[in-house]
Amino acid sequence: MTELKHYYAPTSLDQAVECLKDGDVTILAGGTDLTPQSQAGRIKFKHTLMNIRHIPQLSGITLEGDEIRIGALATITEIMEHPLVKQHLPVLVEACDHFASDQIRNAGTIGGNICNASPAGDTLIPLLVLDARVELASMPEDKLYRHSMPLSTFFVGPGKTRKSLCELVTGVRIPVPAANHVARFYKLGTRPALDISTISIGVAGCLNGGVLSQVRVAFGAVAPTPVRAEQTEQALEGKPLDAATIEKAAAIARDEVHPIDDVRASAWYRKEMIHNITKRILGHVAQA
Amino acid sequence: MNTVAEKKHRVIEPDSLIGKRIRKMDAPEKASGRTRYIHDINLSGQLHGKILRSARIHALIKSIDTSAARALPGVHVVITAADIPDQRPIGVAKDHFPLKVGRVRSQRDEIAAVAAESEEIAEAALKLIKVEYEDLPVIGDPEDAIKPGAVLIHPEPHGADGTHMHLKQGMSIAHKGKPDNIAMRFDYSHGDVVKGEAESDVVIEDTFKLHYVTHCCMGVSGMIAEFDASGNVLMYSNTQVPFLHKREFAEYLNIDPARIRIIQPPIGGGFGSKLDIYPFEVICLYLARAAKRPVKMLFTREEEFLASPTRQPVLLTLRSGCKKDGTLTFRQVHTLHDNGAYTSWGATTPFVMMQTFSSLYRVPHCDYHTAAVYTNNPYAGSFRGYGNLQATFAIEQHMDMLAQSIGMDPLEFRMKNAQDAGEVTGQGMSFKSCGFKDCIRTAAQRSDFSHKFGENQANQKAPGTVKRGIGMASMLHVGGGAKIYPSDGCGTILKMDDFANVTLITGASEIGQGSETVLSQLVCEELGLPISAVTVVNNDTAITPWDVGVHASRTTFIAGNSAIGAAKKAKAKILAVAAKKFEIAEDYLDLRGGFVIKADSGEAVIELSKLLRNLHFQDKAELVMTTFYYEPPSVHQDKGFKGDVSAAYAWGTQVVEVEVDTETGIVKLIKVTGAHDVGRVLNRLGIEGQIEGGVVMGQGYAFTEDLMIENGRMKNPNFRDYKLVTAPEIPEMDIAFIESMDGEGPQGAKGVGEAPAICMAAAAANAIANATGVRLFELPFTPEKVYRALHGKTPKLYWKPWKAE
Ligand SMILES: Cc1cc2nc3c(=O)[nH]c(=O)nc-3n(C[C@H](O)[C@H](O)[C@H](O)COP(=O)(O)OP(=O)(O)OC[C@H]3O[C@@H](n4cnc5c(N)ncnc54)[C@H](O)[C@@H]3O)c2cc1C
Repeated sequence: MTELKHYYAPTSLDQAVECLKDGDVTILAGGTDLTPQSQAGRIKFKHTLMNIRHIPQLSGITLEGDEIRIGALATITEIMEHPLVKQHLPVLVEACDHFASDQIRNAGTIGGNICNASPAGDTLIPLLVLDARVELASMPEDKLYRHSMPLSTFFVGPGKTRKSLCELVTGVRIPVPAANHVARFYKLGTRPALDISTISIGVAGCLNGGVLSQVRVAFGAVAPTPVRAEQTEQALEGKPLDAATIEKAAAIARDEVHPIDDVRASAWYRKEMIHNITKRILGHVAQA
Repeated sequence: MNTVAEKKHRVIEPDSLIGKRIRKMDAPEKASGRTRYIHDINLSGQLHGKILRSARIHALIKSIDTSAARALPGVHVVITAADIPDQRPIGVAKDHFPLKVGRVRSQRDEIAAVAAESEEIAEAALKLIKVEYEDLPVIGDPEDAIKPGAVLIHPEPHGADGTHMHLKQGMSIAHKGKPDNIAMRFDYSHGDVVKGEAESDVVIEDTFKLHYVTHCCMGVSGMIAEFDASGNVLMYSNTQVPFLHKREFAEYLNIDPARIRIIQPPIGGGFGSKLDIYPFEVICLYLARAAKRPVKMLFTREEEFLASPTRQPVLLTLRSGCKKDGTLTFRQVHTLHDNGAYTSWGATTPFVMMQTFSSLYRVPHCDYHTAAVYTNNPYAGSFRGYGNLQATFAIEQHMDMLAQSIGMDPLEFRMKNAQDAGEVTGQGMSFKSCGFKDCIRTAAQRSDFSHKFGENQANQKAPGTVKRGIGMASMLHVGGGAKIYPSDGCGTILKMDDFANVTLITGASEIGQGSETVLSQLVCEELGLPISAVTVVNNDTAITPWDVGVHASRTTFIAGNSAIGAAKKAKAKILAVAAKKFEIAEDYLDLRGGFVIKADSGEAVIELSKLLRNLHFQDKAELVMTTFYYEPPSVHQDKGFKGDVSAAYAWGTQVVEVEVDTETGIVKLIKVTGAHDVGRVLNRLGIEGQIEGGVVMGQGYAFTEDLMIENGRMKNPNFRDYKLVTAPEIPEMDIAFIESMDGEGPQGAKGVGEAPAICMAAAAANAIANATGVRLFELPFTPEKVYRALHGKTPKLYWKPWKAE
C-alpha cells in the first residue's frame, strides 16, 4: 500500500512551489508515466500527490521575442497541432507524430516527458537539437524563484535530472530557428505506432551552400540519458555534406555511442542503426 | 378493396440469407459498451480471490507461513496445498495440482490463495504470506532436458530413507513422478523414407525454430464460483468446453457432475486459450467452498501473461526430397517441443502438425517423431491453428527451397504436388471436397505472383536499400470437426413461439467467432424467416444440450448441421400441419418470408405466425419444438494416428508481399492475397472478419510478437514490450473464397476459424527470401533478426534429429 496521505491541486504557481518546499511531494501531470510506474512498484508515492494541471502558468505555447515557449502542461497533441510549432519546429511535430497513441498523446505532457528523463523520451531528442532550455521554478525563501538551464545539461541518468525535489518544471524555451535551419528526427522501433524507441536520432544545423554549421546531433536510447553526440557534430561542422563526410560522421557516431542490450535490441544492433540511420538522415539533409 | 383476394395472390419472391453480409448479433451490444463480461458481473456477498505465485523458477518449498495473512482484517480464507488434502491432479497429463505441493517448477506456480472482501485486501494479504524456498537447478532449454543426467522436473517421490517410492501403476504423474523429462511423444510414419530418399534427386535438411507467443485476449481470465446451500456449484466461466469441463470440475471437487452448472458470460477473447482447465479455476472453487460465499477471481494483465498458456514453441528439423521433375519423394521430421513444467494441450499439437507433414501435399513416404519435454518454462496450450502454424512454417519454406534447387517455378512445383478431391492420403484422410489447386491458382493470379516473383528475384542484387518480395504458403486444416473424443457431436433444441419467433438452444459456445449469427442464418434459411426472428441461448449447461466444445474450427460445421437438423424437423411439422389444413400435399408447400407458400408459384398460403397460433390455440394444442443431435461421419484415429478424423478438410493459400529495408531490417507487410476453400460462404461479413483477424494474428506471430523467456523467467509480461500488431501495420488484404460446396457441410460450408492465421509466417519467410535471397529459419522476423540474417550474423541453426527411445 502507498504512503500517500494528501492530494493537492493548486491553482497557481506560487501555491505549487510553496507546497514543494518540503520535498515530500509527487508531481502529477498527465500521469501516463506515473500511473504505470507506480502500478509496477517502480516508484513510491510520496506524502502528497500534487496535481499540477490547474496551474495556468504551466500551459500554452507562445512566441516570446525570439523564443518559443512551450508550457510544461502542453500535451503532445497540442504541440503537434499548434501553428507556431508547425511553422518553426517541424522536427518536434515529427517526433510527436511517432509518439505513443492518440489517447496517450492527449494526456501526456512535454513537462512529464522531460521530467521522466527516459533515455528513449521522444520529445527530448528534437528538443536537444533545437537547443532548448528548461524553465524551473521553486520557492527557496518566501518568494517565487525562476531560472533556466540548457536541456543538454539537465539529464543525469535514467529518471534522474538536475531538478531538485523542490523545483517544478514550468516549460521549455526554444530559440526560433533561422530560415536556413534544417532538422530531422527518426525513431526506430519494432512497429510504427505505440512503441518505445529502440533508438532515435535527431540532426539539426544551418545549411548554407551544401555546408552544415551549428550542427547538433542527438541520440536516444543509446545511453543512460538522451545524449548529444559531440564528436559526430564536430565531424560535420563547417563541412560540405558530401558522401565522404557523411560516411565518416556515421562511422564516428557508431563509435561514439555505448548502448546496452535489452528486450528491445542488442547493443550491436543499436550501434549499427546509429550508423545506418545517421547516414540516411544526413543524406536526406544534403538533398534538402 | 378486396384484401382477402389480394392476400391470396400475394407472391413471396425467393430469397436466401446464405452468402449475405449479416451483422454479428452481438455487435450493437459490444459496439455500445453494453456487453456484460465476467468482469462486469458481481454477486451479492461476493469475495475477491487472489493467487500467490512462486517467487522462484524451480525450488523446493520449505515452509509457508500464512498466519499474518489470515489475521488481516477483511480476509476470509487463506489456502495452501496443506488446506486441501483431497486435491486431485489436473491437466492433460494429470501432472500438477492446482496448489503446488512441496515444489514449484515454474514462475507461474500457485502456492497459496486468498479470498477477501476487496481485491486490495486480498493483494495485501498475499504480501504477508512468507514462503521459504530451496532453489533447484533450472532447465530453461528443452535440449538440456533430454541430456543424460538432466535434472528431473517431476522426480519420483522419495521415502524417508531416501529411496524411490515406486508408486502404484495407474497413478498420475503428479503423484508418482516421471523418471525422465519426456512428457509426451508421437511417432508417425507412412511409406518408407529410406526408399523415398533413395529415389530423390535432391535432398535438403534444415532446422526451424518457433518461439513463444500467447493469445493476448483483451478480456483477462476470470471466473466466479458459488456454492448454494445444498452444495450445488454455479460457475460463471469463459470455458470453451463447458460439458467436458463440468465433469472434470466435479472430479476435482469430489462431487457429482450433476451438481455443477456453468454459465458462460460473453467472452473477451478465446482463440483456444480456454480449452483446458487451469489451476486458478479450481482454486477459485476451493476458495468459494471454504468461504461459503461467492468468490470472483480476475487476473491482472501481468498475470494474464504469466499464467496463461502459450503457443507451443517448437524446434524442428525437416529433411525432404524430390525428383528433378518436381515430384516430392519423402519427408522426415523430428521436433522437440518445450512442454514447460506441466502438460496442457500444447503437447498434443503433433496431432495437427502431422496432418500437414503427411497430407498437405502428396508425399509417398513420411516419417515424423516428436517429444514434448518438461522444462521450467511456461506451458503451452491450444492456440488457433494448433501446431499448424509451426508445421506450415517449415513445410512451405522447404517447398520453395526444393523448387529452387531443381530450378522449378515455386508455383508449378506446388501445383504438381497439391492434393485433389477424391484422394486418400497416407494418413488416411479422405478429401471429399478439395479446392486446394483453385486456392493456389486464385491467390497467384490475383497477386500476379509469378511475374512479381521473377522480377523481385532479378532485383535482389540491384542497387537500392529497399527490396520487394512476394511469397506464398498454403495450408490444410480440419474443416468438419475432429474426432478426438469418442463423440464429436452437438445438440440443438429449437422452439417456436406463436409469433413465429425461434429460440435456438445450442450446445455450441459463442467465443466471439460469430457462431450465433451463422447458426441463426442456417435456421432461418430452412424456416424462411428473417434473422431478427431468432434468439440464441447458448451459455448455460443447465439449459443447452451436449457439445464437445469450441475447437478444431468445428462449430459452424457441427453445430450448424445440428441446427439445420432441428430446423428441418420443425419445418416438416409445420408443413404437415399446413398441408392438412389447406388440403395441399406437403411436397407442394414451402416456407418463405414468414409465410407458408406454394413451392412452385411462391404464392402465400398462410402467414406462419398465424398457422402457429392456430396450432397452439386449438383443442388438441400443439407446439413446434424439436431437438436434433448431429454426429459427423468421421472416425477416431487408430494407434498409428491414421484415419479420416474430420468430415471435411479446409484449404487455403496466402500470398504475402513485403518491403525489406536492408539498412534497418524492418519488414513492411504490404499486401496479403488470400484464397480460402471454405466450402461455401455463409455470412460474408463474418467470414471476412474471421480471415482478416486471422491474418493479423498470423502477422503478429511472424513479425512482432515474442514472449521472451530466459531461464524460465518471462522478461516482457506487458503490452509495452510484448508487441501486438497495431492498426497502421495491418496490410491491404484481398481475400477470395473458393466455394467447393462440401457435401456434408451445412449448406456446403466448411470450418474456417483457424485457417487464416496458419500461412502467414511461412509466406512471409518466403517473401523475405524472394526479396533478399536470405532465408530466415527462426521467428519472429523482428528488425534486428532480419538485419542480422541479411548481414551474415546469424549462425546456421541446426538441431540434430533426436527421437525418444
Ligand atoms: C502506452 C504508453 C505509450 C507511451 N509511448 C511513449 C512514446 O512513444 N514516447 C515517449 O517519449 N514516451 C511515451 N510514453 C511515456 C509518457 O507518455 C511520456 O513520457 C509523457 O510525456 C509523460 O507525460 P505525463 O504528463 O503523462 O507525465 P506524468 O506521468 O504525469 O509524470 C512523469 C514524471 O514527471 C514528473 N513531472 C511531470 N510534470 C512535471 C513538472 N512540470 N515538473 C516536475 N516534475 C514533473 C512526475 O512527477 C513524474 O515523475 C508512453 C506511455 C504509455 C503509457
